[in-house]
Amino acid sequence: MIDENLYKDYLDFLLKGQRMACSQIVQQLLDRDIDITSLYTDLFQDSLYEVGRLWEYNKISVAREHLATAITEGMLNLIYPRLFEASSNNKNKNAVISCSANEYHQIGGKMAADIFELNGWDAHFLGANTPIYHLLEHVQETKPDLVGLSVSVYFNMPLFKTQLEAVRSDFSQVDIFVGGQAFNWGGINMLKDYAATHYIPSLGILETEISK
Amino acid sequence: MMKQKLMKTASALNQPTEAMTQEFSKKRDQLAAMGNEQMAQRPDLEKMVGGKNQQMAEDNNRNFARFMESIFSEYNPEVLVETVMWVFRSYRSHGFHTTYWAANLNIWVDLLKQELSQETFDGLYPFYNWLIVNIPIFVKLTDEDFAAQEPHA
Repeated sequence: MIDENLYKDYLDFLLKGQRMACSQIVQQLLDRDIDITSLYTDLFQDSLYEVGRLWEYNKISVAREHLATAITEGMLNLIYPRLFEASSNNKNKNAVISCSANEYHQIGGKMAADIFELNGWDAHFLGANTPIYHLLEHVQETKPDLVGLSVSVYFNMPLFKTQLEAVRSDFSQVDIFVGGQAFNWGGINMLKDYAATHYIPSLGILETEISK
Repeated sequence: MMKQKLMKTASALNQPTEAMTQEFSKKRDQLAAMGNEQMAQRPDLEKMVGGKNQQMAEDNNRNFARFMESIFSEYNPEVLVETVMWVFRSYRSHGFHTTYWAANLNIWVDLLKQELSQETFDGLYPFYNWLIVNIPIFVKLTDEDFAAQEPHA
């Protein structure tokens, strides 16, 4: 859990675009050995959700929303030393994590990839808007134990479904995890049509699942 | 109560067939572009969307078409209601007048009738009609949302 006052300070710095002040707070938490899933969920995710809400109510501009997103992506780089420490705990499992085609919101997918790495997996994060053909090529090349698909905006669901069908059809043995804000109000039902395909609603549950 | 009514009536809409969705999907971008062209010609556009929001209106129209495709391909009433609520909150916050939706949706209905087969039009029109008839409810619900955001005296 993040102290409420610290969260408010971080959010304030984030909205003002004060990247150094944000990084000082994050480094302070890392020095106190904060659990990374808590950092990601309670600081980065919650603050970005609040940024989205503020844009929704026209309290901040698109530019400021993008600035907050860019700063948060930079904050994720501060976690690298922890990822390198975790590499000694390698489980010899690998995952390919990708955002849906035409999906440009990539922070959630990036955080999920980091959670895999922190738990001893090798994770290939392919980033935003990965064309379906290239995702399939990469899965064919790397033969992962698991493919993770992230979709944030509901209108990307048709492309996501096409991507899911392609992965499921071409790679019947691989487990598939799906997640993202697009599922907040629905869309999970369609997953029951696909074997070994699981909806993961949070980073905490992801960590529990891959630790099994 | 109002939101429950929206959910109830939204739940009565029927999932379009795959053929209907595919026909819409093929024409989706063309329809959005045609709609944007028609809206751009309206002398009251600035009044409807607020100053400097024409680009936002055009982007919204393209996103609206993509959203409706996603609704038609895997219909979920909760997604429809919650997303439209979000749209009304976001765009009204940014200066869109409530008359925008009636104008834009009526343009869409005319374009769908003109460009799609009768069968597909018959399958998709109930969704657009549902949006049109419920505009006052979406306005009322978002008024309540805005009031809830105001700092208390």
